[in-house]
Amino acid sequence: MMRETPHPRTRTRRRAARLAVIPAIGLTALLVAGCATGPSDDGVVTLELWDTDTRPERTANLEKLIDMFEKENPGIKVDYLGLPTDSYMQKIGTAVATGSTPDLVTPKASDISALVAQGALAPLDDRFSAGGWQDQIDASLVQTTRDAAPDGKLYITPATALADVMFYRADWLRDAGLPEPTSWDDFDSEVAALTDASTGRFGYTIRGGNGFWPQFMEMVFTRAGIATLFDENGKSTLDDPRVVEAAQKYVDLYKTTTAESDLTADFKVMQAQFAAGSAGFLSHSIGSYPTLLQSMTPDQIGVTVPFPAEDGTQVLGLLTTGFAMFQSSKHPEEAWKFLEFTMSQEGDSFWAQASGYIPGNIAVADEQWVQDSPALAAAIAAGANEKAVPMNVPYYLPEYSSITGTDMLPDWQLVLQGELSVQDFLTKYATAMNEAQQRYEDATK
Amino acid sequence: MTASATPASRRRTRSTAWYPYVLIGPAAALVVIFLVYPVASVFYYSLQRYNVTMPFYNGFVGLGNFIEIAQDAKFWRSLGFTLQWVVVEVGLQFVFGLILALLINRAFRGRGIVRALVFSPWAVAGILTTTIWLLIYNPTTGFGHYLADLGLVPYGTSLLSGSGTAFWAAVLAELWKGAPFFAILILADLQSISLELYESADVDGAGRLRKFVSITWPHIRSAVVIATLLRAVWEFNNVDLLYTLTGGGPAGSTTTLPLYVAQTAITDRDFGYGSALTIVAFVILIVFTVVYLRANRFGRENA
Repeated sequence: MMRETPHPRTRTRRRAARLAVIPAIGLTALLVAGCATGPSDDGVVTLELWDTDTRPERTANLEKLIDMFEKENPGIKVDYLGLPTDSYMQKIGTAVATGSTPDLVTPKASDISALVAQGALAPLDDRFSAGGWQDQIDASLVQTTRDAAPDGKLYITPATALADVMFYRADWLRDAGLPEPTSWDDFDSEVAALTDASTGRFGYTIRGGNGFWPQFMEMVFTRAGIATLFDENGKSTLDDPRVVEAAQKYVDLYKTTTAESDLTADFKVMQAQFAAGSAGFLSHSIGSYPTLLQSMTPDQIGVTVPFPAEDGTQVLGLLTTGFAMFQSSKHPEEAWKFLEFTMSQEGDSFWAQASGYIPGNIAVADEQWVQDSPALAAAIAAGANEKAVPMNVPYYLPEYSSITGTDMLPDWQLVLQGELSVQDFLTKYATAMNEAQQRYEDATK
Repeated sequence: MTASATPASRRRTRSTAWYPYVLIGPAAALVVIFLVYPVASVFYYSLQRYNVTMPFYNGFVGLGNFIEIAQDAKFWRSLGFTLQWVVVEVGLQFVFGLILALLINRAFRGRGIVRALVFSPWAVAGILTTTIWLLIYNPTTGFGHYLADLGLVPYGTSLLSGSGTAFWAAVLAELWKGAPFFAILILADLQSISLELYESADVDGAGRLRKFVSITWPHIRSAVVIATLLRAVWEFNNVDLLYTLTGGGPAGSTTTLPLYVAQTAITDRDFGYGSALTIVAFVILIVFTVVYLRANRFGRENA
């Protein structure tokens, strides 16, 4: 029998089928949108660069560096993305876990261990030697960078480095008739002399908050004359009596010569206090010098490396910063070209000068601007001292950053508040470091 | 055709039985992808030791993480502080929210604008809230500096840098943001109270307190109960304010349990232990919610 209208069952089925098409299309559209890929059309390769220390002047400099690179390499474009300074590791970690990493990143030597453990960075040794770079880059920077990795390979370009220095208000010292400091005794007396709490002027600004550990090492281990966190027997040097004594002198600075609010001060707060004229001395790295110059004049700022210990040992804090490429990059050749540009004389000279870093390219170290910068001159002169020893930091240890970053911070603040003794604090963390080192050795045997 | 009528109708029911499932399919898929899978993976990782920077150390540990939590002094301290934070915050927000609602319930000129202003702190994003309060508490640019100029406090001090005062500084910031939530919910119910009730209470000679207890409170009770529950859960889970304002406070004095989870899982990348901590927080909140709603006889008509 021929039906004029379809059977109700068929009509319902057809209606259901038509209605089911809508969510099906919706889901497909969602899936397709999620799989968006970037085709490299018309031969231009686009690289993605993530910066780990986003600040306005640094962004401008980095974009200028990228422009210089793109001019010489017309087939390559670099897209820049800035990550916040205090949480960039979280973002990179998430990207690694989800397989959405970019091509290039700007890590410091202290970041290498965590990234290598996640298998994120590509080793550069073969390309480095194939390009003949070992003759063009300072060998000590290359070695320091290799030492920061758990397997001793080269993972970031070793062409720029930070050095620990102390900045001070040279104009305040002149007004008070005090000489430029050359020893720890000078420092102790001048910091006290410059403090005038009733007018809100303090002699020093201490880093009590986030990231306190690098400054602790800078001020305590230099005074103690110890250049390593693990001695030759593999035991932690944190509870060495010389370190404890130097740490006590450092802790005593709080509230006597610093603002009470420094308990929670991070690097931004410290830098702002110094630039705003609330502090006479600031311990940080040469990378701050360009920033300080934006609000102060050169004759207001004096620079010195932390002073030698009593026995004359000059401990230097050096941290290489550079560029790295991700293992999963789809354009490794082009990414390497960018890395090479940053190590070349043209790229290294611009980038080191703009950022205030020590240049690793040997040809750049002879350029005039290096001699003219007081911060760099102080750092390089200290390095030339025959009793100079670079500080050996165990970045290869996976737990190093969580112990010195997260675990130690609350106890450090208790120490500053006087509720935990320096000896107990250092003993506790010497034990923690020893245990972490033991676990690492057991696991990698 | 009675013999074939029954099979046909039975067949029709069977063939269209899948129809509703197709319609809810996409929604169900989204729920599974964005709710069930993440929660299940948290349960999975809570039974593992999983730190992405120490891959040689990862592995199944069963209930090992939970045993470690029971012995973790930092966990107990953060739990205690979280309870203190929730009780103080929700209590103060309720009191100030109620006062605000009662105040703006009366008719006066400009009431519309005042209501919008009262509600505006709630509309401000969390990060903006902390930025505003960080500037207020900043020793160089904030109130502290002006008070020091007047000689009331020493220079270079800040409420945020004292272990005891940091808590109240954070409480104030969150109170500013959270009280409007209570105010608006209570206000909605207050508006529904008929004025005749108050007039007849006046005729009967009822005082202010009596009017509040017998007329106002029963009307707003269910709104208060649900608002308190919501705010308690949200304050328990509050991370953004404490993370940005105090970072867990000087010497860990303002670390709540969720903040401890964030430090463990995201900063230290120890996802196994962080997942176990999250499970503990989840269980606590579920138990609290059930008990709380039961105790308030929520959903049943007012006795």
